[in-house]
Amino acid sequence: MSYIVPIGPYHPALEEPVHARLYVEGEVIKEAKVFIGYNHRGIEKLATQKNIIQTLVMVERVCGICSHSHAWTYAMAVEGCAGIEVPKRGEYIRVIVGELERLHSHYLWLGIALHLIGHDSLFMHTWDDREAIMDILEEISGNRVNYGMITIGGARRDISDETRRNTLAMLDKIEESILRIRDMLLTDKTVALRTQGVGVLTTEDAIRIGANGPHARASNVPIDVRKDSPYSCYEDFEFEKAVFPTCDVFSRVVIRVLESVESIKIVRQALENLPAGKINNDGAVPKLPKVPVAEYMVRYEAPRGQLTYKVVTDGKVGNKRVSIHVPTFRNAPTIPTMLRENSVADAGLIIASIDPCFSCMDR
Amino acid sequence: MQEYNKITITKEEIVPLAEKMRAEGVTLAMIHAFKEDDGTANVSYEYQTAKGVDSYTVTGENVLPSISGIYDLAAEWPEREIMELMDITFEGVDTSERLFLPESMLSEQGQILITSMDDLIEKKKGDKE
Repeated sequence: MSYIVPIGPYHPALEEPVHARLYVEGEVIKEAKVFIGYNHRGIEKLATQKNIIQTLVMVERVCGICSHSHAWTYAMAVEGCAGIEVPKRGEYIRVIVGELERLHSHYLWLGIALHLIGHDSLFMHTWDDREAIMDILEEISGNRVNYGMITIGGARRDISDETRRNTLAMLDKIEESILRIRDMLLTDKTVALRTQGVGVLTTEDAIRIGANGPHARASNVPIDVRKDSPYSCYEDFEFEKAVFPTCDVFSRVVIRVLESVESIKIVRQALENLPAGKINNDGAVPKLPKVPVAEYMVRYEAPRGQLTYKVVTDGKVGNKRVSIHVPTFRNAPTIPTMLRENSVADAGLIIASIDPCFSCMDR
Repeated sequence: MQEYNKITITKEEIVPLAEKMRAEGVTLAMIHAFKEDDGTANVSYEYQTAKGVDSYTVTGENVLPSISGIYDLAAEWPEREIMELMDITFEGVDTSERLFLPESMLSEQGQILITSMDDLIEKKKGDKE
């Protein structure tokens, strides 16, 4: 017998609102549709009413997890419009905070996935390590989220020698731990039974629909903006583009562990080779930059995938248009394909496996 | 810094360009749109390159052909979003259900980006009453 099963917009497996409509026969999902926009806050509209510095603060609030990604990408778009150069030390500090943000985002999702899978001991172990990362982010910026580390033309705060040493010590601790987590995930029977062969997105479908970030890399698509179209100073660092071939939820779990290992490498290199010099062009108080009438688009590898900002400036102090598209906007359309022929019981886990940020997407 | 190249094209070139890009394996990064102060529409098809983005822009057209038949949902979602945010239409896209904004948004018209802030505030006051 056929039924329509609604999931969301409010559902225990979802941290944020989205609505999926499942068309099922018995326990098997035959078709699905996704509806978004439940957390639309009109941020793009508001950006047309604010000046560039006000917008920088506002876009950092688009997302609570990848807040630094939004501020940094907007700043790069404005710097592209105005032709502003960023001092090397400022670029390194941006990368350090950006990769620490990727680490805590991946650990956050790993914990949620493990909880959904039913492996609560590993969930708690993962989040224990995440706290160490959050403590370092707090030491660097004063905040656990919304770090305020970005200004147009550089970074807003420097990293002291003491913080640099503390961060390196934290990296040693979590690197040892993440390798142990990796081995447990690859060999654990519970994780395998709940995730292998579940929610498959083939390489062809991932490319056809336009998936990106870790979600695409877990479907064996080797794309990563940091390697493919490097921005900031990513060319200075040695790291691998993590790819995993099984195309299922298991692959999406493993890929985040592999990427965390690479992010640790990047942060360590940036801290050990942190250049001397100034961190921005303005000093302690940010000034409104002079930006001509221009437009510019930036692609950024956020924790969940490719984040794009297109900014059109008005030649005064404001924006004519700020267009924000987050990775979930590209990955959510893959949900119906992943759900087909899976059981209703796995729907929550499969939707969560894209590491969605629906509030971010609705902006 | 990534490169951003703006290239002007006509409405008739949109579909052949998309077919060529798809055949060459080029990723469509996004479709963006905005309106000038005088109401002139700008729609940009942003294709990824090794150095950044090539932005193929059509100006002054409010009705455009859809490329969702070529780029699938990677084009359909941005096209539907643009239709809901401003008065630009992509022919052939299914608009029977809203994707992004609620059905009740501004008397079922949506299009928040071309509605003045004063009108939006008035509408919000009306909703509360």
